[in-house]
Amino acid sequence: MVNEMGERILVVDDDREIVKAIDILLRKEGYEVLKAYDGLEALDILSREQVRLLLIDVMMPKLDGLSAVMRIREKQNIPIIVLSAKSEESDKVLGLSMGADDYVAKPYNPQELAARVKSQIRRYTSLGDIHAENRAGEIRNGRLLYNTEEKILYADGEPVKLTATEIKIIDLFMRNPGRVFPAEEIYRRVWEEDNVVSENTVMVHIRRIREKLELNPKEPEYIKVVWGIGYKMEKQEKNH
Amino acid sequence: MDTKWKNRKRIISFLTFFLGISLSLGSISGIFRAKPSDVRIWQLDRLLENDYQQSERFRGYVVNRLENLLIMATGGEGLPGAWEYGNGVCYDGYYYYSGSGYADYYDGYFDDYEYSYSEIVEDVIEQEDIREGRSTGEASYVPDPGKEQIKRLTDEQKKEIADRYHDSIKGDKNLLYAVLYDGEVLYDNGDLFSADGTPAAPEGYNFLLYFDGEKASIFKDGKEIDVYGDGYYHEDSDWYLPGYTNFQAGDAVKKAAVCIAVAKEPVLYSEGFYDNGGSRQYDNGLYWINVNLLQSREIMLQGFIGLGLGCILLLGAFLGRKRRHEAAEGIARFQGKIWLEFKILLFLGLFYAPIFLGLRFGYDQWREWGWAYEYEYGLDEAFFVGRQLAESIPPLFWIVLFWSLWLFYNDFKYNKKIWRCSLTAKLYRAFSAKNLHLPLSRKMARRNQTVFLGAFLYGILMLGGSAAAGTVLRGEYALIAVLLISVLGTVFFLILQYLYGKENMKVAKDVEALSDRITQIRNGDYGAARDGEKDCGTDGADISGADCGLETAMARLEDIRHGMAMAVDEQMKSERMKVELIANVSHDIKTPLTSIISYVEILKQEEGLPDHIKDYIKILDEKSQRLNNMVQDVFAVSKAASGELPMQMEELDFVKLIKQTMADMEEQIQNSGVSFRTELPKEPVMIMADGQRLYRVFQNLFQNAIKYSLKGSRVYVALGTEGALAVASVKNISLQELDKDKDFAERFARGDQSRTDGGSGLGLSIAQSFTEACGGKFSWETDADLFVVRVTFKILKA
Repeated sequence: MVNEMGERILVVDDDREIVKAIDILLRKEGYEVLKAYDGLEALDILSREQVRLLLIDVMMPKLDGLSAVMRIREKQNIPIIVLSAKSEESDKVLGLSMGADDYVAKPYNPQELAARVKSQIRRYTSLGDIHAENRAGEIRNGRLLYNTEEKILYADGEPVKLTATEIKIIDLFMRNPGRVFPAEEIYRRVWEEDNVVSENTVMVHIRRIREKLELNPKEPEYIKVVWGIGYKMEKQEKNH
Repeated sequence: MDTKWKNRKRIISFLTFFLGISLSLGSISGIFRAKPSDVRIWQLDRLLENDYQQSERFRGYVVNRLENLLIMATGGEGLPGAWEYGNGVCYDGYYYYSGSGYADYYDGYFDDYEYSYSEIVEDVIEQEDIREGRSTGEASYVPDPGKEQIKRLTDEQKKEIADRYHDSIKGDKNLLYAVLYDGEVLYDNGDLFSADGTPAAPEGYNFLLYFDGEKASIFKDGKEIDVYGDGYYHEDSDWYLPGYTNFQAGDAVKKAAVCIAVAKEPVLYSEGFYDNGGSRQYDNGLYWINVNLLQSREIMLQGFIGLGLGCILLLGAFLGRKRRHEAAEGIARFQGKIWLEFKILLFLGLFYAPIFLGLRFGYDQWREWGWAYEYEYGLDEAFFVGRQLAESIPPLFWIVLFWSLWLFYNDFKYNKKIWRCSLTAKLYRAFSAKNLHLPLSRKMARRNQTVFLGAFLYGILMLGGSAAAGTVLRGEYALIAVLLISVLGTVFFLILQYLYGKENMKVAKDVEALSDRITQIRNGDYGAARDGEKDCGTDGADISGADCGLETAMARLEDIRHGMAMAVDEQMKSERMKVELIANVSHDIKTPLTSIISYVEILKQEEGLPDHIKDYIKILDEKSQRLNNMVQDVFAVSKAASGELPMQMEELDFVKLIKQTMADMEEQIQNSGVSFRTELPKEPVMIMADGQRLYRVFQNLFQNAIKYSLKGSRVYVALGTEGALAVASVKNISLQELDKDKDFAERFARGDQSRTDGGSGLGLSIAQSFTEACGGKFSWETDADLFVVRVTFKILKA
């Protein structure tokens, strides 16, 4: 992984210790961190400085995170990750609809946070390629890109190492995003056998794929289990 | 004093009063009834003498006979009994048919037999016809003065009439007579003159009247009686005989003389008449006068004795009047319980019973009374007939009348409002607004009672009506009356039934509304009564509601509803507050927790730390993660328990869900030291649930099983169907001894009390909350150390 040094990340939270902790965390990853402690301060810094990514808390004095995001989105298109103690699905949806690119609930897993930051920056930098629109044989879904001819899956532009069976499953999912596949169908189409199969075999593979491409395998965003029905590739709304 | 004695005294005093009144009343009416006509009240003393010759009727009889004998002596006109000559002829304007003519003559003969006027006429004519040997049966002729010729009787005819008359009366030896003219005896029926030619009464005859042509002299028991007094005839003079200064005999009878002797004790004279109609009785007027007088006298004596006794009893009753009043009050109490209608019916019945039962007291008098008015006889006549009528009424009737009236008086005196206890009042009360305050049960009971009584009365009326129509009452009017009563009764009964039915329908409607409302409340709808359902709710403005029998029940139900609505509101509010509190608390915990986790992570990345510090950091890491899990679990449980958990219900395969969950947890299961055994159906079992939540349920169940199972034991996971239900069960052998009475789904309850291991203690609690939020049923049971959890869902029909 090549980190271009000096990439600036603005961290906004009214809790100074958290800002400091994130600072330490991100510096280790090689980022330069700017700090702000409320929304207005964040807007002020953004108007003066070049920033590659914004990490912003929701509940803050003076100007709360979501309002700040709305005002930022009027001028700038930088990746924004919202941090919030509100972990409800509805809060997440609200945050994303306000213009955030990602939503991380507190207390976050530091590793995951770092991974998300990295993912957002990568996608932002490779934006030029992406905007060229899908080339022939390429399927894009969120931060995933699948080349049907080469049979290679890219996550945030990086190829993901997958086994032959895993790539067959990904092939199936990427070609049919949003569709739910029962285990039997997956087994029939991937293994090309009609045997009665245990749920476990499919599940094991699914889990391995998740670990390779999900930022937080415990809370997968792309490959999901539809309980009592089957499995599916979640179709991401934001396809930038 | 002894109450028994007191009661006895009351009874005695009242009985005295009762007997006294009854006796007096009966006696008085008996006296009046027995009184022969023409006896004036102030002359009662004469009647009491044991001599019929003292009676006015006797005097009238004798005077009348004397007049007839004088007519015979002078050969004049006007003798009774000459009907055949009168037929179609009006003699000198003297009507032989005139009622008063022979009413006088037959007075004392027919009167006591209560013959009617017409009967007398027919009887007499018949007798005459028989005597003449003519056939009878032709309608008797009534002369019309306008058409008939007026003729004078010839001397021969007069002689004939006199002879006939003599023939008809001579057999009655109770009255001996001799008619003389110019010293020569014309007619006689006995030897009345002594040897010297002076009139003398024979043996057994104690009354002698001698008329010498100018004056009459009367000897009774040998003594002469002062006939003329002061010489003038007054209205109250005993003897209506010629010889008064203002009542001269006249020249025609100057030469005539009549001697009459009357028997002391008259007997009944009859004569064989076998060649024509058998025997016949003579006039016998005196005999009947005597007999009737004796009877009347006896009755009157009895009457006076009775009256005297009655007065004595009344005096006694007067002395004991206090006790009597008490007795009367007691009777009134009893009377108070009887319906007024019944009393009136009884009262009327007492008057009509004699008529209906054939005890006709002078039906003819009634008729005559009617005639008296109809033919304008004048008030005097009507009064006379009316008096006769009153006299003909038996004494018992007066007694009954008196006591009926007394009972009414008594009722009024003590019970005041006697109409209160009546069927009408009962009916009125049953349907009136007055007893609205009564509870429904009593109102219905009252209505039932009323209808039953109505039916009862109706039945009696119909039965009585048909019985009366069939037996006692014959005739058009009676039938019409019975028919009318039947129709009225039927209409009345039907109206009653209709009212009753209407009331009941109303009640039924209200009951329905009430039960609807109960159902509504039971189903958890605590809202106020809907507008569509009027009924007896809390709004008193409703008119129909005012008549409703269930308003109390309804009002109470409303109270309950209100109370429940309040309680539910309160509970909801407190649940919401709890969730809010937990949300706030968890948020407040999360912020510092974020710092902790972040710095633990930084520490973890620190290099060159001694091993024991790394151990500490590891512990910090684990506990902070656990704290994080707990916060999230607490939040989830509280949301689920308050029903605010957002749910995404969808059709899913229960079997697959369990399989997926187990596959998802495969690693954990393999590392757990317990093995899982499954018993799942091959075909899908479709249920409706939120897959994500249900996954959490089984995840928690399996985690619990792994955590608390005896090492090396087996966990049994099964899914079965019970009718329309799918039952998933998880069974495991507990590591710890299970407390039988423990509620394992209680929040923070765990198999052991130490709380040192990883769980939040909310596993089962979350499982239960989520299952119930999905619409399923969650239950568990313990059998020794076997712990069984069951999750039940309704199977969807394919």
